[in-house]
Amino acid sequence: MTRFRAAAVWMAMGMIALAATFAIAQTPKSGGHLNVMLREDLPQGFAVHETATVSTSFPSMPCFNNLVIFDQLKRTESVETLVGELAEKWSWQDNYRNLVFFLRKNVKWHDGHLFTSKDVKFTFDMLREAPEAQAKLRINPRKDWYANVEAVEAADPHTVVFRLKRPQPSLLMMFASGYTPIYAAHVPPASYRTGCIGTGPFKVKEWRKGEYADYVKNPDYFVKGRPYLDSLRYVVIENRGTRISALQAGKLDIAFPGETSKTASEQLKKAVPQLVVTPVGQMVTDNIIMNVKKPPFDNVKVRLAVSHAIDRRGLIQAVHQGGAVVGASLAPKPWGIWGIAEQGLQALPGYGKLADEKATAKKMMAELGYTPEKPLKVEIGTRAIAIYVDMASFVINELKQIGIEATLKQVETAQWHPMATRGDYQIGANLTGLGVDDPDANFYENYACGSPRNYSQYCNEVVMKMIEQQSQELHPQKRLEMVLALQKKLEEEAPRPILDWRLDYFTVWPHVHNMIPHNDIYNFGRMQDVWRDK
Amino acid sequence: MKTYLAQRLGIAALTLFGMSLVIFALLRLAPGDIVDILFSTGGYVNPSERAAIEKELGLDRPLWAQYLEWIRNLFVGDLGKSYRYDLPAWEIIRPLIPVTVELAVLSLIIAVALGVPTGVISAVRQDTTLDYALRIVSLAGLSMPSFWLAMVIILVLVAWIGWIPPVTYVSPFQNFPLHCVQFLLPALAVGYRSSALMMRITRSALLEVMREDYIRTARAKGQGERHVIWSHALKNAILPVVTVIGIEFAFLIGGLVVTETVFNLPGVARFLVQAILWRDYPIVQNLVMFIAIVVIVSNLVVDMLYGVLDPRVRYAG
Amino acid sequence: MVGVALPAQAGARARRDGLVPTVIRFFRKKPLGGAGAIVMLVIIVMAVFANLIQTHDPIATEAADTLAPPTAAHWMGTDHLGRDIYSRIVHGARVSLLVGLGSTLLASILGGVIGLLSGYVGGKTDLVTQRVMDILQGLPLLVLALVVSAALGPSIPNVILAISIPIMPRAARVIRASVLAIREFQYVEAARALGVSHLRVAFRHILPNTMGPFIVLGTAQLGSAILTEAALSFLGLGVPEPYPSWGRMLSVSAAEYAQKAPHLVLFPGIAISLAVFGSNLLGDALRDTLDPRLRGA
Repeated sequence: MTRFRAAAVWMAMGMIALAATFAIAQTPKSGGHLNVMLREDLPQGFAVHETATVSTSFPSMPCFNNLVIFDQLKRTESVETLVGELAEKWSWQDNYRNLVFFLRKNVKWHDGHLFTSKDVKFTFDMLREAPEAQAKLRINPRKDWYANVEAVEAADPHTVVFRLKRPQPSLLMMFASGYTPIYAAHVPPASYRTGCIGTGPFKVKEWRKGEYADYVKNPDYFVKGRPYLDSLRYVVIENRGTRISALQAGKLDIAFPGETSKTASEQLKKAVPQLVVTPVGQMVTDNIIMNVKKPPFDNVKVRLAVSHAIDRRGLIQAVHQGGAVVGASLAPKPWGIWGIAEQGLQALPGYGKLADEKATAKKMMAELGYTPEKPLKVEIGTRAIAIYVDMASFVINELKQIGIEATLKQVETAQWHPMATRGDYQIGANLTGLGVDDPDANFYENYACGSPRNYSQYCNEVVMKMIEQQSQELHPQKRLEMVLALQKKLEEEAPRPILDWRLDYFTVWPHVHNMIPHNDIYNFGRMQDVWRDK
Repeated sequence: MKTYLAQRLGIAALTLFGMSLVIFALLRLAPGDIVDILFSTGGYVNPSERAAIEKELGLDRPLWAQYLEWIRNLFVGDLGKSYRYDLPAWEIIRPLIPVTVELAVLSLIIAVALGVPTGVISAVRQDTTLDYALRIVSLAGLSMPSFWLAMVIILVLVAWIGWIPPVTYVSPFQNFPLHCVQFLLPALAVGYRSSALMMRITRSALLEVMREDYIRTARAKGQGERHVIWSHALKNAILPVVTVIGIEFAFLIGGLVVTETVFNLPGVARFLVQAILWRDYPIVQNLVMFIAIVVIVSNLVVDMLYGVLDPRVRYAG
Repeated sequence: MVGVALPAQAGARARRDGLVPTVIRFFRKKPLGGAGAIVMLVIIVMAVFANLIQTHDPIATEAADTLAPPTAAHWMGTDHLGRDIYSRIVHGARVSLLVGLGSTLLASILGGVIGLLSGYVGGKTDLVTQRVMDILQGLPLLVLALVVSAALGPSIPNVILAISIPIMPRAARVIRASVLAIREFQYVEAARALGVSHLRVAFRHILPNTMGPFIVLGTAQLGSAILTEAALSFLGLGVPEPYPSWGRMLSVSAAEYAQKAPHLVLFPGIAISLAVFGSNLLGDALRDTLDPRLRGA
């Protein structure tokens, strides 16, 4: 061998060795423990189907599996990132009228029972409150998600068929939400309030009320070699300052989704530069709800004036220090798939040039007989929590300038939803979280006639028709156009003007790998592929 | 003595009974109940589901029936089930009690250890610069909100050394040194405040006693100043100090509430705040009664101690 | 061990000498108390003239200028919403004093009337009333205030009520002790012999002589009330927005941004401490002057 050649061989071997070292460095290691932040104790334990809060869904994720889920390693969720969990394969049949799942075999529940299609039928019959349901949920917040399901058939132990009343491509997306785990048919649903029998990568070891929830690796998990970690601890820290200090001091490895504001993350990075911060959408909006059944907001002109008056970008700067983005009723790219983009927003009330918008608003109010000197007096309600109150205070300031004098009424948590559902208010500053970035989930929940979470009591036949139409549209491009048109119409009707879409500056310590936040706080945290450096 | 004890116990029982009525009424006055909160975690409200849950939890019965059931169960030692956690209240509260007790006792020890000596010094050196300085420092302790002190401690720690005490409970059997550190800081935050009170009481009690005739007699007899203070003055000043320790035990709980919250200690006080916010009637009612019993018992103990320490009371009572 | 009402003597002397010489004498004899009085005066002035001495609107947000350190433009910096902290501290004085004084006054008046009547009438009524007072006093201040505040909901009048209820028994006890002592005095017996009605005797003859303990109690409890309001606001159950409250300024965002902007945590805490410090100093000095025998209590 010539010297040149020898050198080349040595170099090649060196590079291979280097590459190998890198590969090994990035090869997931087994073992270890992680501490995860919780901002409050699990409200109803692991009973995900009886709550609609991330405080239950996030710490419950390691325990459960869904039929399908969004790939935990991909930040943006879409129909393309769906992967099977308890379902190996699935297919739409009969023009999106039937959805067939072929279930995985040899999956065990944490107590040793075998998972079969019976569990799937049990779960979804219970959720849709079918007459033949074998159990009933005490509280059922997402019953409407399954309004279109006619029947759930479990012909054999490893096949489930969902028969729909009409085509609905969105149903598959709702199955992938962290809000749709599969319950076991052989335990009462109430048992999930105190413990968790799931099929997921981790078993609940202990839940010390008010303190922490401990998980331990599930040795019989159906994905071989997973999970990587030995144990998890979700630590409850109710005091915000202490939470952030704990993350900074390394007592916590992973932040809670939606908890880290832009400024807080900047502070954390300054103190501990090696922290990994990922800005990501939360799928949560700040919005204004207005009771369209009572004066003065039964008049669309007044509602539009309110929408024109509020400087969205100003609010994002003032209340979130830049940690939010503008958008209509669905999240705009790159934070979501269906939202109206920046250019499209310009034409909508409240997004144009600031001076013009304020002038328009003032004019509209003047035409109705109200000026800043002789204002319309209303009461704006909001929850007695700092972030809501900050938002409401900003809005009050904005409305003052156009002739609406709003006094703040703070409502304690326990009374907020009854008040909003009953329509016992005029105008309110509200937060809405979407379980999945999907038009059906959003429109049916928040704008459909008679929906309990349609706090504005809004009911418009034309809009209902548009909602039904887009729900059945199978062609993606056509559907997107319909959805965009629907968002435009909703902002022009202004029952619930959207103020912004919040961002989370999700923070983890660098020794944590594969903890990828999603653009929806409700759908990640399975912890199956997360590993840590020693 | 026996009749005195019986009398006191009778009064205590009456007081507890009245307290139970008050707490029962106050809780139900509060707007919203557990069912509202459960629905708020679901983000909506449904009247028929609401009625079902009320029935399940027994909230649809008349108030007097609910009250009687609570009292009746108390007598047999059944503390009921937590509305939030669906588990026996005692099971949830039991592990919290040692944490709060330990914190309270540590705080009291710090309070006495800091307060009494400084009180003595201050009294002996009355109206000197040292006296003024000590009085100002102790008054500062009384004036600072204990939650502020707690917050500042944590912030300073994390900013300067990037470390804070453990945020989950460390058992003394697992790691004794870490356990001590975990409890020492919050105990200091609470104890500083109590030590100020101890100092003031000790000082004024000692000053009062030192003016007494028998002290002057002892001095006139030529006994050393130190001897005078130790064997005569202090012995008699102990009484009011003991009284205050008993009373302070009750006051402490307020400081414990905020300190446990900021330092994230899993104690009774922190849990009580959450239970109030969740309208978890069984937990709140029983915890408050428990606190009341502790207060009454500590008052009783103090009174008994009084009887032991001060012969005058024993024969008069 | 509560003392007999010697304040009659001090009060008489004050009346004889006039206000200004009395005040000057007070400042000279009790410099610490004088310092406390000055602190309280400053805070009262801040509270009353808040609108005049503020530099900005305390609830106006300024997105471009959040978490600014103390500068010429903002003497105490700005908070996370860009609100001027100095102006909020000044307005917070209003809230703290309103709640502190309000609850102390309410407690003292209610408790005082109860103690007055209970002590004067005596007998079974007295016994029962005392037990009721024991009930209220048996519970720690913060716990009772928490429960009452949660029961009534967040608003300034409710917070005042919530804090006054636990303080009431103490006022009742102090006044009652005074009454018990004075009741036996000769001039009272004389008045009764002359046929003066019970009520008149109670209010006209006895009450003025309990003023001493009353004032002392008031200043002592003021500090307690201010601290309890701060703790309630910190826990989220106190005075609601938009009224700036020193306690609430410390609750959510202060600790979160404290490393970038420590002034968020410092100023409200110092304000609370100073207010309580001042009232304690003043209270001590007043107690020493008006009723030396109360020093141990």
